[in-house]
Amino acid sequence: MDYEPDYSTYTLAELLSARDGINREKYPERAQRLDDEIARRPTPQMPKRPPELSLEFRGSAREYFRIWIVNLCLTLLTLGIFSAWAKVRKKRYSYSHTTLGGTPFQYLGQPIPILKGRLIAGMGLLVYYTSTHFITSLLPYVFAAGLVVAPWVLVRSAAFNARYSAFRNMTFHFDGGYLDALKVFYAWVIIAVFVIGMMMFNCPGKTIVEGVASAVFVFSFPWLIGRLKKFNIEHTSYGGKKGAFFATGVQFFEIYFISGLITAAVVFPSVILILVGILFAPMKESWLLTYLVAAPTYAGYVLAYAYLRARSGNLVWNHTRLGPLRFQSTLRWTGLVRLYVTNALGIVASVGLLIPWAVMRTLKYRADNMRVLQEGELTEFRGSDMSAVAAVGAETADFCDVDLSL
Amino acid sequence: MIAFEGHYFDGWQPIGVPARMDFFDREATLAAGPISERHATFDLKVSPRIGSTDRFITLPNGAQFACADHAFFDSLPQESPSEGPVAWLEERWGVALACVVIVICTLLAGYFFGLPAAAERIAARIPMETEQALGRQALTWLDEREWFNPTKLDFDTRKTITHGFDRLRSDLPLRDYYHLEFRSGAAFGPNALALPGGIIVITDDMAKAAATTEEVLAVLAHEIGHVELRHTMRSVLQNSVVAAAAATVTADAASLSVAIATLPALVAQMKYSREFEAAADDYAFRLLKQKGYSPTAFASLMERLAKGAGGETGPLAYVSTHPVTAERVQRARNAAAE
Repeated sequence: MDYEPDYSTYTLAELLSARDGINREKYPERAQRLDDEIARRPTPQMPKRPPELSLEFRGSAREYFRIWIVNLCLTLLTLGIFSAWAKVRKKRYSYSHTTLGGTPFQYLGQPIPILKGRLIAGMGLLVYYTSTHFITSLLPYVFAAGLVVAPWVLVRSAAFNARYSAFRNMTFHFDGGYLDALKVFYAWVIIAVFVIGMMMFNCPGKTIVEGVASAVFVFSFPWLIGRLKKFNIEHTSYGGKKGAFFATGVQFFEIYFISGLITAAVVFPSVILILVGILFAPMKESWLLTYLVAAPTYAGYVLAYAYLRARSGNLVWNHTRLGPLRFQSTLRWTGLVRLYVTNALGIVASVGLLIPWAVMRTLKYRADNMRVLQEGELTEFRGSDMSAVAAVGAETADFCDVDLSL
Repeated sequence: MIAFEGHYFDGWQPIGVPARMDFFDREATLAAGPISERHATFDLKVSPRIGSTDRFITLPNGAQFACADHAFFDSLPQESPSEGPVAWLEERWGVALACVVIVICTLLAGYFFGLPAAAERIAARIPMETEQALGRQALTWLDEREWFNPTKLDFDTRKTITHGFDRLRSDLPLRDYYHLEFRSGAAFGPNALALPGGIIVITDDMAKAAATTEEVLAVLAHEIGHVELRHTMRSVLQNSVVAAAAATVTADAASLSVAIATLPALVAQMKYSREFEAAADDYAFRLLKQKGYSPTAFASLMERLAKGAGGETGPLAYVSTHPVTAERVQRARNAAAE
């Protein structure tokens, strides 16, 4: 007698394939038991998953290399003027090779507004450089001017990026104003104004106040980042639907705190080791120490940075909604470390020629770790006369249209 | 007649309708489900070609038709005409290869010849006055933080050195800008530095380390060289251009890793700094001989300082800001022998 199979331990798929293969004439009784077992099983149900819009990055390193080198060459030969065109070309490439639900995104930015933005930024940089290097008495005024201008820069660059990003013939829109932006970080502006005031008038106890102010700034920084993200996302809309953002400052603080701990955990032991080395090693070898300090510091920086990027990227996307769309970001910091290290090695070994390759695989990694879940109908997004791609061209002649995002 | 299959986006909903567009003579017919439209081809606007992605054709009524790229679209009105030639260049491996060569040659030629020469000329035209405030601020800053303390040298020593210094600068083009300052500062050890605007600081330790006044003057002549050759201004100009160029080349990688953008610039700037030291040395040797001193004094002082510091050997010397001491000593002796 051959062995009697125990069908109750079979999975449904195994039962079905067994029924297809069974010899019913020879084993009628066994076939009957098989049928019974199949009937007892609950009917297979597709797990109820929200439908998904597939997000793909299709850029190729070979293609992007040509775009990169041609634009770099023209930028150098025109002493930087062409960089505005280069930015447009490269942004177009990464946008149009990112597809959502099979349709590529479209970047609509034009070089001239970008060139204007770069000239303004260049002027600002020159003023900053002069005030830090030559006329330091101007520095407080330059900082103050920077604080006044910062909200405007923030709003303009967000508005430009939104306006010139399109998907399926509908552009994004950013409606935050100067005062909205100021509201986001007025508390930090007050701290900064305080410090600048101290710089201008030589108050007693200056260093203590400066120290306290910087400590407050460092510890409150994650909240600032959280508020900026919220501001950006909740003022951005697509098809009349505004983004919603749920992450809290505490969640950002946790990420920044752990990332700080990682740096400390890597750097402190090696610094102690090096101090021991200084005590016992001959002075002649002191140059070696410079390398010994640099290596763990850099390692700590890479680990902390990768951790920060992975966790905060996930935090932001997993707490963002746009109309019927939800996002799932699954970045892992170990993956990012591997990506950063291999990128850096490749770039160094190729004297920079592998930069386009590094950019492409980073974008691909980002897209591969992102899912766009659809919980309602896409028809919830409604376009308007202003959101069509055709409406963008008419506005480009506007003098105030500058791109300040660098 | 030519036809394309693609998708139609009306601009009111983010939903693509499978569509077909026929071009016949100067007219385009669009069919998308129940929709059927006719447009003159000169009313259409085509998005620029980029890589191998879809092209978007914007219709006069605001709708869009997207389909795979085809050479035919280049004959229609373009959304961004200036990008057409760039796209043409981007498609060719030969062009890419030529660009690699041009980029490398431009960077190398600029770095080794163009930039130093241009910076030298420009620096010579910028009046010395622009640096003076900076130099005074730097000295005040160093004094306030007590990096520097008042000198403890006796009056006679200072008088001798000042007298020799005045003799050195007496007929130089920038003679009126010089200020010799004496300071004691343990952090600096035996040292002399040229601050912007013609301020030259010599530490007490340096004055003591020198066996003769001639040796002190040799060091001061080196610092005078920095001032006369406008090294402050030149380093500002050259370093900022190098930083800007490095930022341009690595712009795409900067978001991946900050170090990738800053490290090459730092290494590149170190070479300029070493060159300035060598140039100041050569200037000093000429000046010393002209005033009846011997560059040998420079060599003997360097040797004594090197012994005190334990020498600077090892791989770090190669990338350090000062040229290797042995090399400087040798050049001083050669200059003296000439």
